Amino acid sequence: MVIATVGLPARGVKTRIFHLGDYRRATLGPGKEVPADYFFVNASPESVLLRKRILKKCREDIYHFLEHENGQIAIYDAVNPLSAGRKTLAKEFAKHNVQTLFIESHCNDERIIEENVRNVKISSPDYIGWSDEDAVKDYLARINARIPHFETMEEPDLHFIKMINAGERVVVNNCAFNYLSQRIVFYLLNLHIKSRQTYFARAGTTRDEDSYKADASLSAEGEDYAKKMADTLIRHREEERERLIKRGGPDVALKPLTVWTSTRRRTIETSTYLASLGYRVRQRSQLSQMNPGVCEKMSEKKIRAEYPEEVSKHEADPYHHRYPRAESYHDLAVRMEPIILELEREENDLLIIAHESVLRVLYGYLMACNAIDIPGLEFPRDEIIEIIPASYNNEAKRIHIPDLPPKIIPGSPEDLQMPVPPSGTASPFSGLGTPAGTMTPTGDGKGQSFLPLPLRRPNVTSNPSS
Amino acid sequence: MSSAPPWEPQAILEALKADVSQLNPDGPVLARSIVGRHTLVTSFLLSTFYALSRIIFQVSIMGEDGYFQPQMRKVPTGELMQPSRKTNGYGVQAEDTRICVVMVGLPARGKSLIAQKVVRYLGWLSIPAKTFNVGQYRRSNTPTPTAEFFDTSNAEGERLRRAAAEAAVDDMIRWFAAGSGTIAILDATNSTKDRRRWIQERCDAEGIETLYVESKCDDGDLIMSNILEVKTTSPDYKGQDPEKAAQDFRNRIKNYEKVYETIDEDESDMTYVKLINVGKQVIINRIQDYLQSRVVYYLMNLHLKSRSIWLSRHGESNFNLSGQIGGDADISDRGEAYARRLPELVKQSAGDRQLTVWTSTLKRTIQTARFLEYEKLEWKALDELDSGVCDGLTYAEIAEQYPEDFKQRDDDKYNYRYLGGESYRDVVIRLEPIIMELERSENILIVTHQAILRCIYAYFMNVPQERSPWMEVPLHTLIKLTPKAYSTIEERLKADIPAVSTFREKGSLAKHQ
Repeated sequence: MVIATVGLPARGVKTRIFHLGDYRRATLGPGKEVPADYFFVNASPESVLLRKRILKKCREDIYHFLEHENGQIAIYDAVNPLSAGRKTLAKEFAKHNVQTLFIESHCNDERIIEENVRNVKISSPDYIGWSDEDAVKDYLARINARIPHFETMEEPDLHFIKMINAGERVVVNNCAFNYLSQRIVFYLLNLHIKSRQTYFARAGTTRDEDSYKADASLSAEGEDYAKKMADTLIRHREEERERLIKRGGPDVALKPLTVWTSTRRRTIETSTYLASLGYRVRQRSQLSQMNPGVCEKMSEKKIRAEYPEEVSKHEADPYHHRYPRAESYHDLAVRMEPIILELEREENDLLIIAHESVLRVLYGYLMACNAIDIPGLEFPRDEIIEIIPASYNNEAKRIHIPDLPPKIIPGSPEDLQMPVPPSGTASPFSGLGTPAGTMTPTGDGKGQSFLPLPLRRPNVTSNPSS
Repeated sequence: MSSAPPWEPQAILEALKADVSQLNPDGPVLARSIVGRHTLVTSFLLSTFYALSRIIFQVSIMGEDGYFQPQMRKVPTGELMQPSRKTNGYGVQAEDTRICVVMVGLPARGKSLIAQKVVRYLGWLSIPAKTFNVGQYRRSNTPTPTAEFFDTSNAEGERLRRAAAEAAVDDMIRWFAAGSGTIAILDATNSTKDRRRWIQERCDAEGIETLYVESKCDDGDLIMSNILEVKTTSPDYKGQDPEKAAQDFRNRIKNYEKVYETIDEDESDMTYVKLINVGKQVIINRIQDYLQSRVVYYLMNLHLKSRSIWLSRHGESNFNLSGQIGGDADISDRGEAYARRLPELVKQSAGDRQLTVWTSTLKRTIQTARFLEYEKLEWKALDELDSGVCDGLTYAEIAEQYPEDFKQRDDDKYNYRYLGGESYRDVVIRLEPIIMELERSENILIVTHQAILRCIYAYFMNVPQERSPWMEVPLHTLIKLTPKAYSTIEERLKADIPAVSTFREKGSLAKHQ
């Protein structure tokens, strides 16, 4: 559902969402001739039959997706108000060796509910052409039709996660040591309205030969850049504040600005000037640039000549494949996951000074970019990126840094000269701290399985104990 | 769009309305069942949790039921959109956070075990943490009390226990005031609402956040096994007959049960996590910041099942032979012999237990593990410490080419970062997800590298940072770690296949000592 709007396609691991409502609409055709009693508990036999038919079609599609299309996660989006129904459903899926995890959003704050009905439900296609009043009335009738029969999740044996009042409380049942549910909870605990700014800036240019291992210090130009970048940012923040005051905002101080750098010298040194002005700088080892491995600075031609096997593996799975001793984009995303969580939690404004490869992944995350676009994102040195928080799609703004020598502006010329992931293969955020889909050549030349923690243990041959 | 300043709740709400309406607008869907931010949550979840196998998310809406549960506490208007922070307001950073983790629960519910593990975990991550055990304060006055002492109608016992709690809280506040502490754990039953409120007030006054951790268990077998295993060895029962001690302890629990009040709706303003029957159900309420969520996440991953973790370095590599560090060399002939011997060694130690094997992504660990007939996973995070420019050099060459670095590394090996590479501290940060995964898992065999193994070992064996980088972990040796309630038992099995020693003492250049 939301995935489509966010635009991060399910790459790497296949996920698909099945909305029961879509099936209803598809079955009924575009005329929206929903039987008047379709949503009601004491519906006529025809309506019950119709409901069953729609449900069956939806379930069959889920099985097909999981069994025959290598699907891994299916999201079944429906109301499931009754405990008995949920148990049956879990049993039904279990027959097909599919584990069911229920997620309930439970809300007993009427303010939230009414806002929600007013703002969301009545803009549904079900209510096109209705007046707001009528739509709300009808929707509440639908709800009311269900209320006596709605049972909140209390089944001790089912796996479920229940969120109460917009995440104020989270109940996790029978999910102990289930990897997915633990992760979900951790995310739920860490997401909040991002009412603060995030800025990205590149590190300054370095003095010596700029190889990954050498970890060189800033050149004079680099230091000049660091100062100009910082001054531009400080000026920009002050201007923004004044602009808001002019528009009637309160005259409050700016939120403190924290600076995160990687542990590479050039990023730390780029922050020195800011530190001298009293800004707090934190070094984060996870923000270090992508390790280029042995292929650093090689031309594509040379890589092809020296590592023909690696190149073909890379082409088969460019997102997960890593060249000898290098990191893949997947490795980078997994490594940065804790940073992303902390970024979600951070309450101060944040300036991240990092290598372009890292900025790509972070920007891709915050701006919900297609993974296809991430390797191609450009961060010229004469621009600070400002991410302006919005509830759904953040906005990005580029702040120009004036008076920089043109030669230091372009994107990283030292970047890998190897083919970058083409489109449609994987998302930068799969795996999450697990070695999912590491396709490094193993001893026998085969890649690892996609699943970090398979629920079905693969058969281990020739092991008497299994 | 309204022209209200963007930080005003109305403006945020406006933005939410606009965004939420773009969603696929059908019947009850998680994202739309609640206002705004969960659209983010959901989209985030969906776009992130790909890597799991066949699990069906079942998305349901239950927003409506508020209409028939109006007696439930309501969220005050306006609070929804803003993070509510009691002490850690804007401008205060994660490292300025001070949290008092207040354990809640009857005796023999694993509170001390949890406390002790959290302290070890945080300490390993260089987050200063300390346990304040009220029992120890009480013991200084009443070394071996009987169950009667814990009877709430025993006024003298009550007074002494209250005094012990006050002493512990005072000490904790002093510890925070001294400036070095981040997380304190107040380990006591804290079984009444009054006591918890009192702690809350004391902490609020000092600007310390509180996180209550209740361990609730009504599984009799679980409790009994805990009593027999742990409590009868408690200092309170020193030199007493274990049977009698267990009986007395059960009576003591009964006395607590009389006054025990579980955390409930009256305390819904507090930040708490309630662990019911060892994680069978977990309720998390009002988590406020990242550090709290980290602690909660860790707690959720703990289990009490008995299991072991086996650690091995890779078989001797060609780089080991030549005394070079780093690289991605193949294993030597002797390393190959170890690889062939390893399945037998594991069998000897693990019997028929089913394990999962974790290796790094480097050739030498994959080659070493290749004869093991278990499920295998490769982790990038288990790769050897990156020695940057020194990769592929011998210690003698490093001392010659980078004399300053060589000395600095000896002075503070834990914090020294190779030029263009990593420090032990960096390695610990990247191993943190591995530790989390290890806590969650059961029997695991890890085939990895010297520095990585030292860090993992340090976590389980509670080795301080000054010592962990200097520990000797010989090649061709299988280490078995079995976590127990209050310690980890270690066994070492030698494969009896000769290998060079890669251990280097402080100041030494020795290739093979």
